Amino acid sequence: MLYYVFGRLAAAIPTLLIVSVFIFGLVHLAPGDPAVLIAGDNANPEQVAQIRERLHLDRALPVQFGIWFGHAMQFDLGASVYSGKPVTELIAQRIEPTFLLAGYTILLTVLIAVPLGTIAAWKANGWIDRLVMAFSVAGFSVPVFATSYLLIYVFAVELRWFPVQGYKPLANGPWNTLVSLTLPSVALALVFSALIARVTRAAVLEVLQENFIRTLRAKGLGTARILIVHVLKAAGVPIVTVIGIGIAALIGGVVVTESVFNIPGIGRLTVDAIVRRDYPVVQGIILFFSALLILINLVVDLSYALFDPRVRG
Amino acid sequence: MELRYWGMAVALSAALGAPAHGADNVLRLRMNGDINSVDPISTTNYTIRNASYLIYDVLFALDADFAIKPQMAEKVEVSADGLVYTITLRQGLTFHDGGKVTAGDVVASLTRWGKVDGLGKLLFSKLAGIEAKGEMVTVLTMKEPWGQVLPALGKISSNIPVIMPARLAAQEPGDAVKQPVGSGPYKMLVDEWVPGSKAVYVPFEGYKPRAEPASMAAGGKLARFERVEIINIPDTSTAIDALLVGEIDWVEEVPSDMLPLFEGSDQAEAVPARQSGNSMQLVVNHLNPPFNNPDIRRALQLAVEQEPFMKAINGDRAELYKVCAAVFFCDTPFASDVNTDRILKRDPAAAKALLQKAGYDGTPVLLLHVTDIPAHDAVYSVLKPMLEEAGFTVNEQISDWASVASRRASKEPVDKGGWNVFVTGWGYIDQINPMTNVYVAGACDKGWFGWACSEELQKLREQFAATTDFAEQKKLATRMQEVAHDLVPYVPLGQLFPMQGRSKSLENFLDSPVPFFWNVSRKP
Repeated sequence: MLYYVFGRLAAAIPTLLIVSVFIFGLVHLAPGDPAVLIAGDNANPEQVAQIRERLHLDRALPVQFGIWFGHAMQFDLGASVYSGKPVTELIAQRIEPTFLLAGYTILLTVLIAVPLGTIAAWKANGWIDRLVMAFSVAGFSVPVFATSYLLIYVFAVELRWFPVQGYKPLANGPWNTLVSLTLPSVALALVFSALIARVTRAAVLEVLQENFIRTLRAKGLGTARILIVHVLKAAGVPIVTVIGIGIAALIGGVVVTESVFNIPGIGRLTVDAIVRRDYPVVQGIILFFSALLILINLVVDLSYALFDPRVRG
Repeated sequence: MELRYWGMAVALSAALGAPAHGADNVLRLRMNGDINSVDPISTTNYTIRNASYLIYDVLFALDADFAIKPQMAEKVEVSADGLVYTITLRQGLTFHDGGKVTAGDVVASLTRWGKVDGLGKLLFSKLAGIEAKGEMVTVLTMKEPWGQVLPALGKISSNIPVIMPARLAAQEPGDAVKQPVGSGPYKMLVDEWVPGSKAVYVPFEGYKPRAEPASMAAGGKLARFERVEIINIPDTSTAIDALLVGEIDWVEEVPSDMLPLFEGSDQAEAVPARQSGNSMQLVVNHLNPPFNNPDIRRALQLAVEQEPFMKAINGDRAELYKVCAAVFFCDTPFASDVNTDRILKRDPAAAKALLQKAGYDGTPVLLLHVTDIPAHDAVYSVLKPMLEEAGFTVNEQISDWASVASRRASKEPVDKGGWNVFVTGWGYIDQINPMTNVYVAGACDKGWFGWACSEELQKLREQFAATTDFAEQKKLATRMQEVAHDLVPYVPLGQLFPMQGRSKSLENFLDSPVPFFWNVSRKP
């Protein structure tokens, strides 16, 4: 197992290199000059040229890539061309809200979607199944910003049960953190639940057709025990895979929710950096995410062994 | 437990766990942009300018009558021949790091500012020398008498001539200062700064406000809050909701379609910020066809009119805009309606006739339609059909502001990355003064984007700077407008008066073209 893990980690290095070259090229080939944006609307060409020189933007692309990648290998992702803050510090500032939002969302999602999908499969083609599938279609179809605005209007503006926006760090008290993340997590969980409920339903339906399930029923095991202990375990692989993809998406791609609820997450940091052509931040975040995604995939793959004894062998 | 009671329990816990906003001594502000830099010299960004006024102070400042008053300066003595300015600092001024403010810091700071700011560069081109005489006295020696010395040093908008420690001012302007060390009424808590999200300021205990009452950028600046937070809320709808429930105290600009939300609110109100108005402009590139032809530029003036643009941005809220063709804004000291006929009323037939006379060959006008700034998006949507009706061939391409901001610096032909026109906006305070209005510089390839060229405008500006007689300045400004509207460096698209959103618990705001937060306090 250890060799497997080390082998997977070693294989990550060429992946990260390819990702770095790709992202560097993509970002630098996009139109727009960060020196112009930094200098502002009233700036003159001399000011812009000074900034360009300071940021090495006047050098050839391969030289710029070499400078950046060389530092990245020493865990120095450079600094924002705007604030001057190290990219690692900018990411670190956003890690807590990003991971907590992702974690809270996944928790809500699993609590909602897995039981719903399981019940839908167990009562396949019945009214419960149809209701769950309708919820799934609705959850996937309604844009998350629309759900977000509705949640804000009802629960924050009218009922005043939750704040409209903002994130309260853990240092301010975990309860405050939980409250500040509830509405955004619910908004996201509705979307992810829709997806995971469907995957759960499909996976559970397949397992329910297996002979061993018939055997368990014949032996007199209760429905709940069959579903929770045996069926879900056997159906776990595809469900966990989608949950893993969901976690990755939550960490990097929930810009709309972060913007609507004003959560200072990594998604927003990325989009802001792209819009401003803050190259070091964009490159640093993509590299960080690539490494994180490789790690998440590794954890997901290792978790298969928990669900399927054949994988352990 | 019923869901409803669970929610109420959560809300009660949250209420117990956090102070009620609107009742505490923390001022929470939402500006149009975010604080991604702490150096107002390295950028002209308005949000950074606004935040910089919390932490930096200036030698001179504009008061509510637009008179220049000493701020960090105790006094200024001008020699009889107008060549020597001796500026004495006030006693006891200190920086946030505890260092004393000296004349050496003033010289270094002004020198740095003079390398990048338009008016600053002009000032330094007229200077024979600037030096510190001892710790408290700065001496500026001019090559010739120049009436704009103090207006330049008291400039209110970007780049503001802030005073910082000499060791920081030694950096080149393009190398942004990372330590926000000023001598202003607030100091920034750098450890709590999350670029793109939040910037935090606390009162500077070493600040010595002037004795006079605050008057726009001048006078006594009192830090009345124990904490000021500038919170970047990207979604405007969320920001307005947050203001209406009391989570924040101030929103720089309320879109016109959200103004009805304030009706009946006991928490917040929308107030006109008339002095913070701005205008939209269509900037014209004089280097590339078809607008390298002056008659075709004048046909452009005939092709458009302002009301449709203003309505596209503001809907039917007529109080939020004004049709105005004055180069120096309407209702200002230098406002004029000279040579505005072609601009104020659209005449497609006359435009077509002028195009024909000018020999327009159908060269497409490249419209880089910016979609990520709502006001610009609205303008471009209206602009294209107007141009086509007037006989222009239009090539519209969807774009974003970052791309346009970069492309407008190109002097290349359109097919090699150049441009024809772009839409932008300028703040009131930058445009009312002929010395800072970029459209009357006429500086050719050394000027602002568009590179309009006029020796007469250059001479008029020099004459304006050399006189302190208002009647003479008015005459010169009027002539500048006459020349500018024939030259067509831009086409004015209308004047806007955005509404600010404010908590009703606040008082003592200063009406000014730049938002200031000293003196603001919470009602008892």
